Amino acid sequence: MSALAVNRGLTALLLALLMVAPWLLAWMESEFWLTVLTEILIWGLFAASANLLFGQVGLLSFGQALYFGFGMYGVAIGIDRFGLGLWPAMGLGVAAAIVMAACAGVVAVRLTWHYFAIITVVFSLIFYFLALRLKPITGGDDGLSFAAPAIMDLGGLRLSLTDDATQYWFVLLIVALAFAVQARLRSSALGRAFAAVREGERKAALLGIDVLRVRWIAFVIAGGLAGLAGALFALYGRYASATHMYYTVSGEAVVWTVLGGAGTLLGPPIGAALLILVREELSGIWEHYPLIVGALTIAVVVFAPKGIAGGWNALLARVTGR
Amino acid sequence: MSAVLELDGVSRVFGGLRAVDGVTLTVGSGITALIGPNGAGKTTLFNLMSGLLPVSAGRIRFRGQDITGLSAHRRARLGMARTLQIKQVFAGLTVLDNAWIAARQRHRPLDPFRRASRDRVTRAAAEEALDAMGLLPLAAREAGSLAYGDVALLEIAMALATRPALLLLDEPVCGMSPAETERTVARIRAVSATTDVLIVEHDMDVVFGLADRVIVLAEGRVLADGPPAAIARNPQVREAYLGEEDAA
Ligand SMILES: Nc1ncnc2c1ncn2[C@@H]1O[C@H](COP(=O)(O)OP(=O)(O)O)[C@@H](O)[C@H]1O
Ligand SMILES: [Mg+2]
Repeated sequence: MSALAVNRGLTALLLALLMVAPWLLAWMESEFWLTVLTEILIWGLFAASANLLFGQVGLLSFGQALYFGFGMYGVAIGIDRFGLGLWPAMGLGVAAAIVMAACAGVVAVRLTWHYFAIITVVFSLIFYFLALRLKPITGGDDGLSFAAPAIMDLGGLRLSLTDDATQYWFVLLIVALAFAVQARLRSSALGRAFAAVREGERKAALLGIDVLRVRWIAFVIAGGLAGLAGALFALYGRYASATHMYYTVSGEAVVWTVLGGAGTLLGPPIGAALLILVREELSGIWEHYPLIVGALTIAVVVFAPKGIAGGWNALLARVTGR
Repeated sequence: MSAVLELDGVSRVFGGLRAVDGVTLTVGSGITALIGPNGAGKTTLFNLMSGLLPVSAGRIRFRGQDITGLSAHRRARLGMARTLQIKQVFAGLTVLDNAWIAARQRHRPLDPFRRASRDRVTRAAAEEALDAMGLLPLAAREAGSLAYGDVALLEIAMALATRPALLLLDEPVCGMSPAETERTVARIRAVSATTDVLIVEHDMDVVFGLADRVIVLAEGRVLADGPPAAIARNPQVREAYLGEEDAA
């Protein structure tokens, strides 16, 4: 069996398990974990945003929380202030994130390495403090709470986020679709242009690739993914706040990405899942649990520089003999 | 003879150093060699031609169009391809994908929807370019695992895959064994049937075996320009360059 076939099989199995998770957890009488799983899916999508930039195009962003925040506020303001339904509010959140990324990207993609990292942090800090200040719009320190509208309300069929299982499936659907789109993107001509820019921008330019344009496109798509994650998180918490725009939140996405395997499709969400589970299990028991997170991350980076997924792929290549 | 590339008074200054100093030349059909001692400004001149560096003064025309202010990727799309003196390929990708990316740049290069593996036309063009450099057997290998000589060949194959009108080669056989050099020379000669070539090379056997015309650069200026036989006899050239070779 080829490595590709093994990974495809495992992905299908993972998806099947995720689809039946609410029943599985109910049978194990561990319903609490369903909300944790919902959160993991959302943060896994957020990690994908940092991964698109770092793993695919080679740009290390510490500012993806900015677009996550725009997604959150877009949903919250859309519902709370404009009285939008769930889908239009999500559209507003994602659109706000994309527009913000399109503007910030024009400046950011002209820089690389630490300069790029710094400018992304600077942008996110500016809007973090703005969000705290603009109390009439953002709710300031208190944030914005709202009652989530129905997912759909057709005749007798009303689906609402207030049911944990329904909420979980809704999030799973959106996140799975987002990953399917990413999978297609990676195998497209654009995905190969991303790889070319990452592997050698000078060479890419000499072959006719408009490096700045390619980076900008990646920046906008990454902003859209972060915005989508933020929109889902707002719906999940019925809440938007500036704290999720802080750069430490961006940093978590980078850690998840590196731990899970930068450049791989499913590594970053696996990294997110692992560290969130560690946090859930240990934060109540031991206040210094971040030390474990740190030690785990260092261990992976030392022993598997390409992360968990990278290490797995190397192992698989050896076993299948290619 | 219409020139594919024309330089008019092109200069490039680095601080106080005039690395390229008022170069006026044309590149026509066939193989033109650009020679000169180390530090003469050959690579810098390639950087100015290909757009990796802006000129300090002068104009550059390519296929009749003024390209002086164009970025490197625009020039590439107009049909100018080049290899780097310090060889560079996309190390983490397969040999075939390297050539595929090069071949795709003239046709919807940023299409986000269709699977790249479905694009048979680009794949065929990539394979043709690899074949021209004898790399087809290595198509599935990761480019980072290639031997040095094969990296140099892959660079040429990638340049070819863009279907250029002009190919700039910066010391293409540097570091190759005599047997590899001989094979590469034959391949470059075959390429020159369809593509004009400007080649920077230190190996005088290669230069005089390949070139239809030789341009000698010294201290950033054109010292001599003419058919190989005339260049070999030119006393100034012998003093400034070939003499140095003999002494070495
Ligand atoms: N980016 C640069 N900055 C400063 N000096 C440079 C740069 N590139 C080349 N030079 C200088 O310009 C001169 C010509 O270099 P180069 O074009 O590489 O010569 P060649 O390829 O003929 O050996 C050298 O003196 C070199 O040190
Ligand atoms: Mg040189």
